[in-house]
Amino acid sequence: MNEEYLWDKSGEPDPEIQQLEQILGTLRYQPKALELPNDIQVVRRNRYLPLVAIAATILVALLVAILWFSLQNRHTDLPQQAIVSPTIPSAPTPIVPGLEKKEEVVKSPSIDRHREIVAHNSPRRTRSEPAAPSKEALLVKEQLMTALRLASEKLNLAQRKAQGPAPNQIRNQHKVG
Amino acid sequence: MKSLFQRLPRTLLLVALLVIAPAITARAQDPKIQLAHLDHLAAKANETVDVNIDERLIQLTIKLFDDKDEDEAKIKKLVQGLKGIYVKNFEFDNDNEYSSADVDSIRSQLREPSWTRLLNVTSKREGNVEVYISMSGSQINGLAVISAEPKELTIVNLVGPVDLEKLSKLEGNLGIPDLGVGPTKPKTKNEQ
Repeated sequence: MNEEYLWDKSGEPDPEIQQLEQILGTLRYQPKALELPNDIQVVRRNRYLPLVAIAATILVALLVAILWFSLQNRHTDLPQQAIVSPTIPSAPTPIVPGLEKKEEVVKSPSIDRHREIVAHNSPRRTRSEPAAPSKEALLVKEQLMTALRLASEKLNLAQRKAQGPAPNQIRNQHKVG
Repeated sequence: MKSLFQRLPRTLLLVALLVIAPAITARAQDPKIQLAHLDHLAAKANETVDVNIDERLIQLTIKLFDDKDEDEAKIKKLVQGLKGIYVKNFEFDNDNEYSSADVDSIRSQLREPSWTRLLNVTSKREGNVEVYISMSGSQINGLAVISAEPKELTIVNLVGPVDLEKLSKLEGNLGIPDLGVGPTKPKTKNEQ
């Protein structure tokens, strides 16, 4: 079989190949203009959708900014300090030096735990060993107790003043007098 | 379409208001009162107690309370829901070291509808004591006490659900250090 016909059609043609050419030739590309059917409906995208998306994005960004600023203000409004004057007689341990260490009170336990997990790669061990309370935490606990005592004391003072002197006291005064 | 473009800004503004307004309202009803402007009194005071404990510190401290100890368990239960404990106490050597404006600046923050004055005791000799509560529905979500005595000014502000009965029972119990602040309470039989 002469294969040159297959390359450049220069040799003697093979009838089988010619037959195939005739069959497949009907499917070859035939250039013609594009014809669109008349009943096609063009669907238009809603033009306002991008605007809504932009507005929604701006709104969300605005809300996040407000939230962030409010949180920032909250933190700056509440400086983490707790001072009890050292001259107060019955509260020896509170608390002047605690001022600068307040942030450490909050951050130190989580940081330490993280370090342990990274170093030992054994989270179960860190869970099973409860961390000893830091000095700062104990300090805050004492401040909390002091604050509660003051709150309770002033509340009781108000109640006592509102109720006036106890009836027993008045009766005793009459007996003595 | 055109009407939609005209309505869009209004709709967005309305949505923004609906979202932002509750947040602003919630902030306005925050039962935390500002006490920072009283700091100047610390220079005049003989003794000062200044406690600022926010929710984070409360949650941190709660872990230190021993549930097996009855007293500590009581305090833990009392403190558990609180979001802030703020106390300022100034004791002076002389009378009139603080001004009525200092007290008014606190009082002005305790206005209705969020705050209600529960108690007001006025005494020329012993000073005034006022107790305010902030309500959220049927629950107390804030407490403020102003005790303005001639030589002592105390402001207490608890933020969060407060059990007044349990709080008032704390005095003289629980091993809380006695600061000698305020009039001496008569000793009970157990204490004697």
